Amino acid sequence: MIFHKAKGIQIDGRKELCKKHPMVDYLNPDTVYIPLVHRNLKLEPKVEVGEHVKVGQVVAQFSTYAAFISHASVSGEVKSIKKVWHSSGKMVDAIEIENDHKNILDDSIKERKNIKELTRDELIEIMRDAGITGMGGAGFPAYIKYQTKEDIHTVIINAVECEPYLTCDYHHITMNPEKLLRGATYMMRAADANKAVIAYKEYNKRIGRVLKEFVDKYPDVELFPIKDIYPAGWEKYIVEQVTGETYSALPADVGVIVNNSSTSMAFTDAVEMNIPLISRPISITGEGINQPKSFNVPLGTKVSELIDQCGGYAEGLDPMKANYIAGGPMTGRAIFIDDLVVNDTLGAVIVKPFETWDYPECLGCGKCADVCPVYITPTEIKKAFERKNVKLLDLLDANKCIECGLCSYVCPSHVEITDAVKKGKELLAKGAK
Amino acid sequence: MARFAGGKAPFLRLSDQKRYNTNTIMRDFMIAMLPVILFTWYKNGIQVYLDGYINVFEMLYPLFLVIMGGLLSVIMEGIYFYIVDKKERSFKDIQRKLSTSYAAIPGVILALLLPVYTPIWVLMVGAFIATIVGKMLFGGFGHNIFNPALLGYAVVGFTLSGVITDAGGVFNASEALMDSYAGVTPLGALANFRNSTEAFSYDALVAPYGSLWNLFLGTMPGALGETSALAILIGGIWLIYRKIIKWYTPVLYVGTVFVLSWIIGIMAGEPGIWFPTFSIFTGGVMFAAIFMITEPVSTPTNPLGKVFFALFLGVLTVLFRFVGNLPEGVGTSLILMNIFAIPIDTYAGIIRSKGFKKPTMPYVTALASIFVILLVYTLVAAGNMYTAVLPLIRFWQVI
Repeated sequence: MIFHKAKGIQIDGRKELCKKHPMVDYLNPDTVYIPLVHRNLKLEPKVEVGEHVKVGQVVAQFSTYAAFISHASVSGEVKSIKKVWHSSGKMVDAIEIENDHKNILDDSIKERKNIKELTRDELIEIMRDAGITGMGGAGFPAYIKYQTKEDIHTVIINAVECEPYLTCDYHHITMNPEKLLRGATYMMRAADANKAVIAYKEYNKRIGRVLKEFVDKYPDVELFPIKDIYPAGWEKYIVEQVTGETYSALPADVGVIVNNSSTSMAFTDAVEMNIPLISRPISITGEGINQPKSFNVPLGTKVSELIDQCGGYAEGLDPMKANYIAGGPMTGRAIFIDDLVVNDTLGAVIVKPFETWDYPECLGCGKCADVCPVYITPTEIKKAFERKNVKLLDLLDANKCIECGLCSYVCPSHVEITDAVKKGKELLAKGAK
Repeated sequence: MARFAGGKAPFLRLSDQKRYNTNTIMRDFMIAMLPVILFTWYKNGIQVYLDGYINVFEMLYPLFLVIMGGLLSVIMEGIYFYIVDKKERSFKDIQRKLSTSYAAIPGVILALLLPVYTPIWVLMVGAFIATIVGKMLFGGFGHNIFNPALLGYAVVGFTLSGVITDAGGVFNASEALMDSYAGVTPLGALANFRNSTEAFSYDALVAPYGSLWNLFLGTMPGALGETSALAILIGGIWLIYRKIIKWYTPVLYVGTVFVLSWIIGIMAGEPGIWFPTFSIFTGGVMFAAIFMITEPVSTPTNPLGKVFFALFLGVLTVLFRFVGNLPEGVGTSLILMNIFAIPIDTYAGIIRSKGFKKPTMPYVTALASIFVILLVYTLVAAGNMYTAVLPLIRFWQVI
């Protein structure tokens, strides 16, 4: 790269849609569906149909690798295993559990007394057994980062939430700031680091305010406001802003671990109460929702129930002229049928009407190359992909793309350029093998 | 359960908000050309009318020419769409296609490149070449390799220049009667010094047209749009303010022409800063810098490519102007560079992402060596052509 500095642009956040309503706890849905899939791996059910399960009981596990694990998020009877829509855009098998509304906890869930004496390995073990994954969207088991052999000096908690519309982390943190700070200290201990840094957007002044009230009690935790740009939540950008260092592969190369704020709060639960990952915050928002709100929900809740809680779709919404987006509007995925269930990586569902106009051809203005945070040239990659020229894709560094979506966002001709670069990246990965 | 529409991430698009998309870019290009159009109407129409050389209808002719340029291009593209697509022939379909084809812009630019008294039928030929041959046959808007207006101008310039000269050429009615101009444009005057033992001088090049200030304002003979650096700069500032063009493309291009002209002037025994200034204010350098090398379709897309393009073009312009037999040099060099926009773009894309490292070295070396060879050749040949002062340079003739 000739220019090294990571960059981004300001995007109209539209977070006000969802911000004005406080977060709602919706912890007792009648039925939950625990998907039997983790990233691309199929999990094996550990319970039988008809069996009664307790909250926190292991219901599914990957056959060979213990870290890919799912727990029951409510107590009740296992009704069946049926197909549901997953945020990956596919239909997957899921365990249907009918809630008995008794909230019977599994025996393993109890207050931990010896938190102060826990060693690094024990903390990592807790993280693994609780099935804590990267809740920002990666969905990768979080403990793997902590098993690194590198010398970690800083743990960064990513509370930036740079995608427009999303407010679930914002609400989650402002409701329970101390939980985040405690989670940060536990993560710091799990990594043997000297300090934890909480990076948040300076635009979200309230996060800064509530965290500052309590941060004095936690001497190792620092707050770090970050500029209101997209993609400020990108790992590399945060690490560069906080430490001033850049890395090529993993943040651990420069002694840093980055985790999402929700992950950190889930870890607090796991350490203090031994509660596995069974709930997460989610924003139901967008112009197509009557009253956008954030919820704290058990994993496996049907999104359609949450939308009903929001007063349903906005009046006069034509579903064929609207997108139902799983995830943020910049990197999410359009789901065709509104039958989605909440899984650990789903931070938002956005219903957003769109208008089409007569899209012109690409005029070659170069805006996409200007805004690209990794300094690649999307138009050239698109051309190379159309010619299936793998060698050129490699020369043009198509694999550097972080799929932030900025190139399509700024394109004045509405070209699906991000999609073309993504496909180019896939072709390169396939061709390189 | 409702069925929703599909789509691809990201679901937020700036272009959907109607404040910034290709339509507004093209509208802003038109707005940027307004000062130039108004100035040329003033200079070639109103002023001449006030001098009493032409009647009211002739006063409107420059404006008419520009409007006809745009109109003819739109009509021709409309006819093209009608002929090519047999299924969608209704007025509405053609209107929709025209709305994303932006036909008027090449037509207007073409008219601005032509001299004042170009006959309408010549403009028509130019507009046909520009829109149909230069743009539609390549696949329409976004696919043209050459700048359409420039292609039309080149064809008309090479084949019908006699007709234009007979009709009055670049001199409007007042200018044709000015004794001091002696029937030559500033660059025509410069060409007279080719292979002459006499070094060019301020008195011979600038004085007949007033001063450098006149060259900047544009009160000199020349094609409709190219004379006034001031009007062009106003348009350029608008385009930069609207973030449609990059400031460095015109600056690098004009800067390269300026520096090289200065060196050639020094070699020719004329070290004054007036000579490079004269060089950039004449022959459409400013017009090309703002409106043509920034034309997005036919020039490189990525920022580094734009830098390379501007530098190469600057050298080629000087080469064609001082060494070739083409007094202006801007148009020809730009057409040549349009061909290389695609490889430059690819090379620049590679260099931009990988940096100056081993895998990109062939590309860096190729671009750099071509640039250096061009540069050295231009300076040596031009110095050889215009100077009797520096005998060292004359080794070229010996070789």
